Amino acid sequence: MVTTEAMPQRQPTRDTGLPQGVGRLTPTWILFFVAMIVITAFGFYAYLLQVNNGLVVTGLRGLGTMAGATWGLYVAYYVYFIGVSFAGITVAAMIRIFRIEKLEPVARIGELLTVVALILGALAILADLEHPWRAIVNLVKLGRPQSPFFGTFTMVVAGYLFASLVYLYVTSRKDAASLAGRPSRFQGLYRFLAAGYKDTSDQRKIDRRVTFWLAVAILPLLVIAHSTVGFVFGLQAGRPGWFGTLQAPGFVVLAGVSGIGNLIMLAAIVRVATHTKDRITIDAFAWLGKLLLGLLVTYLYFTAVEILTITYQPGATEQGLSEALLSGTYAWIFWGAILSLVGAALLLIWQALTREWSIGLIVATGVLVNIGAVAKRYLIVVPSQTHGQLLPYPVGSYAPNWVEWAVVFGLFALGAFMIGGFMKVFPIVPLEEAE
Amino acid sequence: MTKYAMAVDLDRCQGCRACMEACKIENNTPQAVFWMYVYRTETGEYPDTKQSFLPRPCQHCNNPPCVKVCPVGARFRRDDGIVLTDAERCIGCRYCEVACPYGVNYYNWRTPDKAFADYGTDSQDADLVSLTGGLTPPYKNPDLDQLQGEEQRLTAGSAHMVGVMEKCTFCVQRVDKGLEPACVDVCPVRALHFGDIEDVNSPISVYVRNRSTFKLLNELGTDPSVIYVGGRPPEPETREIERPLTEVRW
Repeated sequence: MVTTEAMPQRQPTRDTGLPQGVGRLTPTWILFFVAMIVITAFGFYAYLLQVNNGLVVTGLRGLGTMAGATWGLYVAYYVYFIGVSFAGITVAAMIRIFRIEKLEPVARIGELLTVVALILGALAILADLEHPWRAIVNLVKLGRPQSPFFGTFTMVVAGYLFASLVYLYVTSRKDAASLAGRPSRFQGLYRFLAAGYKDTSDQRKIDRRVTFWLAVAILPLLVIAHSTVGFVFGLQAGRPGWFGTLQAPGFVVLAGVSGIGNLIMLAAIVRVATHTKDRITIDAFAWLGKLLLGLLVTYLYFTAVEILTITYQPGATEQGLSEALLSGTYAWIFWGAILSLVGAALLLIWQALTREWSIGLIVATGVLVNIGAVAKRYLIVVPSQTHGQLLPYPVGSYAPNWVEWAVVFGLFALGAFMIGGFMKVFPIVPLEEAE
Repeated sequence: MTKYAMAVDLDRCQGCRACMEACKIENNTPQAVFWMYVYRTETGEYPDTKQSFLPRPCQHCNNPPCVKVCPVGARFRRDDGIVLTDAERCIGCRYCEVACPYGVNYYNWRTPDKAFADYGTDSQDADLVSLTGGLTPPYKNPDLDQLQGEEQRLTAGSAHMVGVMEKCTFCVQRVDKGLEPACVDVCPVRALHFGDIEDVNSPISVYVRNRSTFKLLNELGTDPSVIYVGGRPPEPETREIERPLTEVRW
């Protein structure tokens, strides 16, 4: 008797009501969450080690007489994560401004990616600081707009993150309202999120107007915010290899490359994990592939200009630096990055010429450009410190150690956990009109 | 208006590195940290080589890149030209370190060993106690913990707090008392001079007048307060030889 009564009650929460596997934990998902928690916890352990003993436990050391690099993996990944955040909000904004409906199914994935990447970027920079609380308090209390870091903490992590969250919320409200109408274990949450939303034609008109103007406002913020991260390096006259006007635009474009690449990878995972292959189709991937190709070609052009500039008639220090990059210590990273970026570009060009797009190949380019982007970020941060001394200091060296890798992997796992968690609470692919 | 400057006479410097030692004793700097550093450099190819010495304190720039980039105003330039770090404000982002072309910034990667606060001695040693009266550690400059200047900020190096930046302060704790920096005071050949460069009659102004001088990397627009007299600036092919403590990287 008990079981027969219980069955119809449990059945709806388990199988009906929620699309895309929301609210349903399969063993694979449980394994995924546990694995992510374990990796994050290990990263946190490494971080605690660092907080308790000082940054001496990392591979970082002082410039000059200590012959090390004072910024290393953390800063490289901070730059990378901020770059990845480019994707989501750009795609979402492009959908509204240029009415690219084919991209609609990946819009929320992108918005979520932006939010998560910004959080990870902020955490990566906090991991680089010995006194995170002092940093947060002092930056609020004593922040100086003259410092290029100011843009990171205001425009990027605050303004941009806030705008992205608003965007994510505004575009999700309709789905929340539609889900709030049926019984499920998250009904209360959906009702709260929907906040009295009524799906009428007037409301849709308001939605369209709001998201359009929000998109128009976010796009310039995006360019400015990503530029400020480029300024962190580009404004330093005393560091060969950093000083240059190309840093800010180059940063924006490589941000786009890594961001779109990430979005492609994530969309491919999502369509399998949520059984939405019919929603996220090759059309969306082809669109992202074309966008990626445009950004990638621009970035390769910037890189070519950069290589010519540092090799044609360099100053003495720049020459040492370019030798280290092109044929010395960092050559394998540099040429590895070029190889993966050019390879990705060729894959995309070939698909564009034959007009035959394949999801597998587009995902492969997403992976390749992200390898290239991480390598390029590393090369922006490190070589100018070890090989860019203007006084007769010895050539420095830097190798990230396990503590830094553990923290970085922990950040990735945390990001995966957040995205996975979102997928289990809210449909990550916007619901179709019919639903 | 006082504007402090240091003159370094490269024709006089003989590379004894007493200034480095005096700096470490005055400021209790931890291991592998050299607020004052003396390069021993070599130029040319064998057999036509030339050796020279170049003391390198913080250049106390009048247009300091480190002050510009500091996100919280921990690094600041006083009206008298001394560039200082507020240990209580510094968040340890190390932006000043990468922005500085002279490599004078030292981050406290960890809490200094006690051995470097008391010079490796056992403070409870009976022989030592008879001399120090049991003070532990036997020597630690108490002035470093004091707030300095009109701003009353903790800028003299203090306890070399882990996770914050530090560098040469021109011995602000001594200068504010009317003394010269420790390195200047100790130099046996008077290669280092310190004083008010805006006072035309001050000893340092008189010293640099009519002598050939240069400032390190002045082409970067930093306008240092350290004036090198005689000698030549290091060239790109100048190499450092006989580095002290090559392997000390903590």
